[in-house]
Amino acid sequence: MIKKKLDGLIDILKMIGAFSIAAMMVLTCADVIMRGFGHPISGAVEISGFLATVALACSMPFTHAVKGHVGVDMLTRRLSPRIQGIIDFKTGIFALIIFLVISWQSFTYASSLKKSGELSMTLEFPSYVFVYFISLAFAILCMVILFDIIHSFGKATEK
Amino acid sequence: MNPTLIGLIGIALLFLLFFSRMPVAYCMAFVGFVGFSVIVTGKAGLSLVARDVYDVFSSYGLTVIPLFILMGQLSFNAGISRKLYDTAYKFTGKIPGGLAMATVWACAAFGAVCGSSPATAATMATVGLPEMKRYGYGDELAAGSVASGGSLGMLMPPSVVLIIYGIMTEQSIGQLFIAGIVPALLITVCFMGAIYLYVVRHPEQGARGEAFSFKEKIRSLKGLGETMAVFALVMGGLFLGWFTPTEAGGVGAFGTLMVTIFQRRMTWAKFVKSLYETLRTSCMVLLLITGATIFGHFLAVTRIPFNMASWVAAADIPSYMIVGLILLIYLVGGCFIDALALIMLTIPIFYPIVMDLGYDPIWFGIVITLVTQMGVITPPVGINVYVVSGVAKDIELEKIFKGAMPFLAALIVGTLILMIFPGIALWLPELMY
Repeated sequence: MIKKKLDGLIDILKMIGAFSIAAMMVLTCADVIMRGFGHPISGAVEISGFLATVALACSMPFTHAVKGHVGVDMLTRRLSPRIQGIIDFKTGIFALIIFLVISWQSFTYASSLKKSGELSMTLEFPSYVFVYFISLAFAILCMVILFDIIHSFGKATEK
Repeated sequence: MNPTLIGLIGIALLFLLFFSRMPVAYCMAFVGFVGFSVIVTGKAGLSLVARDVYDVFSSYGLTVIPLFILMGQLSFNAGISRKLYDTAYKFTGKIPGGLAMATVWACAAFGAVCGSSPATAATMATVGLPEMKRYGYGDELAAGSVASGGSLGMLMPPSVVLIIYGIMTEQSIGQLFIAGIVPALLITVCFMGAIYLYVVRHPEQGARGEAFSFKEKIRSLKGLGETMAVFALVMGGLFLGWFTPTEAGGVGAFGTLMVTIFQRRMTWAKFVKSLYETLRTSCMVLLLITGATIFGHFLAVTRIPFNMASWVAAADIPSYMIVGLILLIYLVGGCFIDALALIMLTIPIFYPIVMDLGYDPIWFGIVITLVTQMGVITPPVGINVYVVSGVAKDIELEKIFKGAMPFLAALIVGTLILMIFPGIALWLPELMY
């Protein structure tokens, strides 16, 4: 039940991410063309940076879920499923720790940026919004990893 | 405990985690965070990770990566590779091993719109393998040429490895790109030589194909112009300073989209698929950069890079031997770790050493790209070989590795030529800048 909702959430994030990438492409291209006519789009560089932040944050849970990250499995794949489960369980905990820290610290960082009232240079947009967004995306990633850990725990304790 | 010792323990822990199947990016972030916290303070470690993540995710300089990946994905999903292959076949078909040569040339051409070597290998495996099978080619030569030809995707600009190298070492991405063109062509020619010699010894592996008239050859070039025009626009605009690398990526992706729509190769489903694939690959690459950034900050406080550089400077070893040793480390490391991850992990350590020895940064970038490309076709973790075996499930892994060996020899010959004549990489950028 929770897993299904989580998968739905991952899908929504994936769509937002895909849209951001497409928008980045159109925006950069439009900026180059408009500049040719002497009217560059003001703040195009800033918006591209924001769109990239959104796209990447959105892609984190999705990429983890489809095992899109490079890893070295030449040793572990020779081991028995139970040992693999134990190893995955341990490394899952390490991954959970680092991403919990990132999510938590991004939240703290965003709050401090908000307090100081920092705005982006050209558009004067509050950039802390995106840091909050990163924090949220990593929190969702942590949930995905938590499900992985439970799964590998099951494998590790299998008879 | 002194920082250098903690650093060495950190590196050992990192390798241990690598082999436990934990994603490389996660390992680097985790060890970097823990190590930095131990050496400096826990509080400093906590604020380091948040800043590093936001800096990488929001960096305008890095937006170039998803855009060039998108350009490659659009070309891939639109099936431009098939057209490139058909054209190359018209030119080399009647030579023994000609289909394999066509594959290699198509890989080089596809590399000009795609910046990743597994993507190039996957593309050519789907297009080239069935054709070679049809003409009775041996599995070794067919699969070996696809897996190895894929490595050209990384050297031929645009190249994700060169972008990352440029960002990490603050070298011009434009210069690196243009420096990659001639070496990529050199390697293509070396590959052709390898195929020729292989077929001379094993004629049954690569039978002669059809011959085409001069008229047919010229006609086959039609429809290729648009793709090459996008490449010329992207590279030309970059070199002439019309736009930044990020803008070049945006123009390239949009140009490819327009060309493929115009040629009726693009559908909505293919477009969406390209976007999702781009998202996944970009996330993988950018998270590697994030991990490497955190790990790099840890390495910096251990003073290991600094100590290494001064140790090498003090040691009385000829400089070519040091560079040779570094390249050997890349070659061996490339057999186990992904090329990008390896470069990100080691550049902070080796780059200062090589620069102290007085080598050219652009040349070094090209050479390590070449050397890490050898890793993609060598056992045990040659990624291109796995990609090809994923596409061609009936060919055994051992056969593909075996088939890639002549190409590995060709890569080594090419690298030696480039080391003896650095001008091969440098004359074109020097001409332009």
